[in-house]
Amino acid sequence: MAVYATELPIRPDLDASHSEIASRWATTGSWWSGAERIAIVGEVRQARDGDDLAPWESPSQVDGLITDNHLLPTAAIDAIWRITNHPGTLTADWHASIISRGINPEAYVELVGVVAQANAVDRFADALNLARVDLPEPSSAEPQRLADKSVAVSSHWVPTAQVKGPNVIKALSAVPFEVDSMSLLSSAQYLQLGDLLADLVSDQNSLTRMQVEVIAARTSKLNECFY
Amino acid sequence: MNQDFQISFEAIDGSHVGDGGIEHGALLSRLCEAMFYEDPDQLASVRDDVIEVAGAEVLVDAVAVSANFYMMTRIADATGTPLDAGTVEPSVEIRELVGVNNFTSRREAQA
Repeated sequence: MAVYATELPIRPDLDASHSEIASRWATTGSWWSGAERIAIVGEVRQARDGDDLAPWESPSQVDGLITDNHLLPTAAIDAIWRITNHPGTLTADWHASIISRGINPEAYVELVGVVAQANAVDRFADALNLARVDLPEPSSAEPQRLADKSVAVSSHWVPTAQVKGPNVIKALSAVPFEVDSMSLLSSAQYLQLGDLLADLVSDQNSLTRMQVEVIAARTSKLNECFY
Repeated sequence: MNQDFQISFEAIDGSHVGDGGIEHGALLSRLCEAMFYEDPDQLASVRDDVIEVAGAEVLVDAVAVSANFYMMTRIADATGTPLDAGTVEPSVEIRELVGVNNFTSRREAQA
């Protein structure tokens, strides 16, 4: 069954990718349980729909914004709001402060992956005035939370694996499941990441490659992303 | 490969500047701006315009591409992703033209 009920011509592969991503959110992760991962997506929605906080304000500093029995640590919630609403203001010091509040560096990578995907999927639905993807029932299995000794901080703030390819793909490499999720979404919404530089002229669905890149660059600039 | 066209960075700068040699460049840029600012009236208006001028398939695909970069920008900025080796020097002029050198993420990422 299609995720989106609409007369708009949403490609079946695009619709299916959002369905698959929602299922992956509910799956037990490497560091976060299915329930926690769904809570991360829920918190992205809170951040987007809730009070507009300035970059230097955290939801944990505002009375009543975080429920007492929240599934996620407050440092994670603060990170979710900041990454969602003010990505262009993130600094190495800010990242260090989140880690210093007890978030495992690899768990942070997984959180970034889920937050980023939720922003993409919900922004798509909102822009087309569609109901957002329903959140599935989470898996009940517990995550293993095993540190990978082969990852290390080298080029990024976060630990990464020794992998080839663009640095933005390497960014999540400490949690391969999130790299796969990113690739799944990018393939449906943008282009196969392997084709990024291999083919600069072929059309992408109804758009020319030049149109695709204008949209990508304009969106990145609006989000004040240097990369 | 013969690429027989001329493009500029106008549409990346903003929808008010021009198409930059890209078909519907300014309109697509306006769509990106409406998605970013999330004004419902602005969004409804530009959706109608894109459908009328370019078609519903273009609207859906363009929204999908833009939405994808709400993921990629957050991954890059939240992980301190540096520019890729080999792109720093060649992109100097482009970065200046597009106006991204003053972004916080420019100062914060390594390399």
